[in-house]
Amino acid sequence: MSIDKRPSRALRAGAAVAAAALFAAACGDGRPNGGGGDEVVLEGVDDGTTLTMWTRAATEAQSQALVDAYNASHENQIELTVIPTDDYQTRVGTAAGNQELPDLFALDVVFAPNFTTAGAYLDITDRIDSLEFKDALAPSHLDVGTVDDRQYLVPHTLDLSVLFYNKDLYTQAGLDPEKPPTTLAEFAEQARAVDALGGDVSGTFFGGNCGGCFVFTWWPTLWAEGAEVMNEEGTESLLDSPEAQELYATYRGLVEDGVVAPGHNEETGATWVSLFPEGNIGVMPMPSTMLGLMPEDMNIGVAPIPGLTGGQSTFVGGDSIGISANSEHPNQAWDFLRWSLEEEQQVEILAANGDVMARTDLGDNEYYADNPNAVIVNDLVGVGRTPYSLHFGQTFNDPQGPWLPLVREAVYGDPNADLTALNEDVTASLSS
Amino acid sequence: MSTKLWSTSYYVLAGGLAVLFLFPLIWTGYASVAPAGATNQQDGFGFGNYASLLDYDAGLGRYLWNSTYVSVLTVAFTLALSVLGGYAFARFTFRGKDTLFIVTLAILMVPYSTLLIPLYSMLGDLGLRNTLTGLALVLTLYQLPFAVFMMRISFEAVPKEIEESAMCDGAGTFGVLTRIMLFAVWPGLITVGLFSFLAAWNDFIAPLILVSEADKAVLPVAIANLRQQSMGAIDFGATQAGVVVMALPCLVLFALLQRHYVRGFMSGAIKG
Amino acid sequence: MRYSRKLAGALYAAPVAVFVLVFFVAPLLLVGRMSASDWPLLAGDLGINMPDNYAGIADNPLFWPAVGFTLKYTGIVVVLLIGLSLLLALIVADRRKGTGFFRTAYFLPTTLGLASASLLFFGFYSPAIGPLDPLLEALGADPVSWLGTPTAALWSTVVLIVWKFAGFFMIILLVGLQSIPPDVYEAARLDGANRWQSFRHVTVPLLRPALGLVLILSVTGSLLAFDQFFILTKGGPDNSTVTVVQLIYREAFQRFDLGAAAAISVVVLAALVVINIGQLRALRKDHQ
Repeated sequence: MSIDKRPSRALRAGAAVAAAALFAAACGDGRPNGGGGDEVVLEGVDDGTTLTMWTRAATEAQSQALVDAYNASHENQIELTVIPTDDYQTRVGTAAGNQELPDLFALDVVFAPNFTTAGAYLDITDRIDSLEFKDALAPSHLDVGTVDDRQYLVPHTLDLSVLFYNKDLYTQAGLDPEKPPTTLAEFAEQARAVDALGGDVSGTFFGGNCGGCFVFTWWPTLWAEGAEVMNEEGTESLLDSPEAQELYATYRGLVEDGVVAPGHNEETGATWVSLFPEGNIGVMPMPSTMLGLMPEDMNIGVAPIPGLTGGQSTFVGGDSIGISANSEHPNQAWDFLRWSLEEEQQVEILAANGDVMARTDLGDNEYYADNPNAVIVNDLVGVGRTPYSLHFGQTFNDPQGPWLPLVREAVYGDPNADLTALNEDVTASLSS
Repeated sequence: MSTKLWSTSYYVLAGGLAVLFLFPLIWTGYASVAPAGATNQQDGFGFGNYASLLDYDAGLGRYLWNSTYVSVLTVAFTLALSVLGGYAFARFTFRGKDTLFIVTLAILMVPYSTLLIPLYSMLGDLGLRNTLTGLALVLTLYQLPFAVFMMRISFEAVPKEIEESAMCDGAGTFGVLTRIMLFAVWPGLITVGLFSFLAAWNDFIAPLILVSEADKAVLPVAIANLRQQSMGAIDFGATQAGVVVMALPCLVLFALLQRHYVRGFMSGAIKG
Repeated sequence: MRYSRKLAGALYAAPVAVFVLVFFVAPLLLVGRMSASDWPLLAGDLGINMPDNYAGIADNPLFWPAVGFTLKYTGIVVVLLIGLSLLLALIVADRRKGTGFFRTAYFLPTTLGLASASLLFFGFYSPAIGPLDPLLEALGADPVSWLGTPTAALWSTVVLIVWKFAGFFMIILLVGLQSIPPDVYEAARLDGANRWQSFRHVTVPLLRPALGLVLILSVTGSLLAFDQFFILTKGGPDNSTVTVVQLIYREAFQRFDLGAAAAISVVVLAALVVINIGQLRALRKDHQ
């Protein structure tokens, strides 16, 4: 259970492999050794091993499709366990502390640094290097899975923040339904125009008591403007910058004018995406995976999140996946990862289902040809960002973290408040 | 106060409270079949949310079976332990009695999230991790404080004379327990069984942490999987359908057991 | 005889004792060790670091506000819950027309898990999908932000908990009422006691053991409140509804620090043991 036992554990595993190799040699069986240990087989091993894999419920559909296709075409068989999203960290954290992780496990990208630096994942730098399409893998996911130039994770499923807008409401409000906002000011203007329709219709919506929602939907505006949210190491907050203040002020104006649908102030994230599909919201940023959940008869447009004065960006969320450090079948596990990233699976499984692919070089495929919204999303993978910090979750996602007080003061508090002290609290949490 | 006025005010109060208690549940039942965005029932009224629950992953049948198995096992463990323990606490003095009682009650006082991690390691040492039996043992643990306390006060309420007359007839303490006392504490027994069933049936965190194989998952875990979308969003259609599916068996169970809670129901049995 | 009765008692208590020792005391000792160690969730035991985890509790700016809020919440819930569940038990105790229906109605919320019930109320209070705002609108009133202010969030959660648990405590009290022999009431009636007097002087004293159980369960349960706030308010708005157990959860699963989480748990356990021994003593003293 303790970390200092690990070397002995590795040693024992190594001894077992050596014994097995000796045994195999003695029997004149020339089969490559597939089980654990030091021997890395870059192309992976498919020898009928049963592998275990965990994923969170939010990305179950994609994981299940990949696993089913892999099991149907391979000797190896993967047993997938789906874990409720909100409790995924609890479950994986408990298993990691006891070295009881499954062979493969996916993880929300923003929490990846906690697990990579704690040694929960196997170093797969050489394996990733052997992929001929390595440079096409979603770059922000790779960056987040890298520690000291060693790589531990590959992209698994992607979920990007993009603007959704209701074309019918746009038409009713006299806006051009083919001209989504290209600056934050235009966003506010269009939201106000739709809001003016009155009745049950509101201009926009956001999760005003949900740190993760703010991060996911608002930060791209800063990145699109060329501003940063943290320093490169993820230890210092820059969230009181002039750009950030302008972002807050714009949304504050929308709140003051009643353009935001009721309930934003107390929205903890559980219902923040259920309003738009009801058809009464003009325009709002939401996760790209919501595209598949929209009513079929609803006339929806999708657009990149604009900066203050132009540009575009996105928060590249979703899951990365790696091989657990305690896996006894790393070569077999890698066989699945390598296979899942190949063109055929990316196109025939992910793109065919309207999902975003883990690679940036396959956008020109037959499925996206009929699905312009998916193309817009997929093109953002290359320019989008995934922020890196070892203390990301406890600072930004945790409702008791210091980010929520900062952004709530800026949006709901004293309009002339000085955000310096609150920003210092964020820095203190990031660097603790 | 006249009997009629008393009776009217009784029904106004009782009925008003019933409306308040039922309203959120009626709303849930209604909303589970009503159309809503971002759910599996988008157009018109229908059972789309239930259909998605029925077909989810291993299928509703498997989850129902697992949940039933774990709950029944928990009820059996809890009843066996609490009847013996409650009898000991109510009718005997022995060394360490007060300490054992307080320690048993203290199970209630340690937050779930702290105790589950040591339990997880320990079940691994006992070879019970990832088994439904291990899960039932942990769920029994959390039922013990209530169950033992409840059985203790139930046994204490039985008049001593009943027991003594049986003793004079030559029955041993175990004979008295099985032949007389169990019938005298019947409402307490029903209550302990009912509540340990409900707690095991609805528990979510223990199976989540202690059982990781997909085909051993219980109903609350499957429903939690079904309702959670990306970025913390909740599929309320799945949630509401899940609440209804989870509650129905409990409702039937209560309907079958509730006649045991009428005042005077047991007095005949004791005297007879 | 005396000796053998002691032995018999110990034998009946033995299964509980063994079970509690294996499944509770042993894990609890590990919690104690965690609280004295540098123990990251993901890495495991890194050695003793006393008294860092305990000293850290005092440095946590959320700790004392959380203690204050938890106590306030507990006070409100315990009073309302015991009062209402006693009323419900009295309503449905006798065989009367319609009591079967009322009993089932009051009991129904108890069949839900706390997490499901909290989610249900989250939707119920939600301006997006809940039925309350349309209802208020139909009555000509303005919509209410049920979870938007600290006061509203507290009382909305109290309503959920009273709704969810009143039926549970009603059943415990019903069992207590059943154990009161009918001839006691008969005697009181012959003495000329009215309904209130027989309630005050017969029912309440004889119901004391059941009320004691209800008191201990509701006090302990409320002091350890977690799911309801975690789901309904996430501790908000503006950290106004953070409970002590939420801090434990945050240390363990947001900050990955099991040592700190275990230290708070040990402090909470110690406080609860003292509170409950006090309650048990008080109940016993009154009884005598």
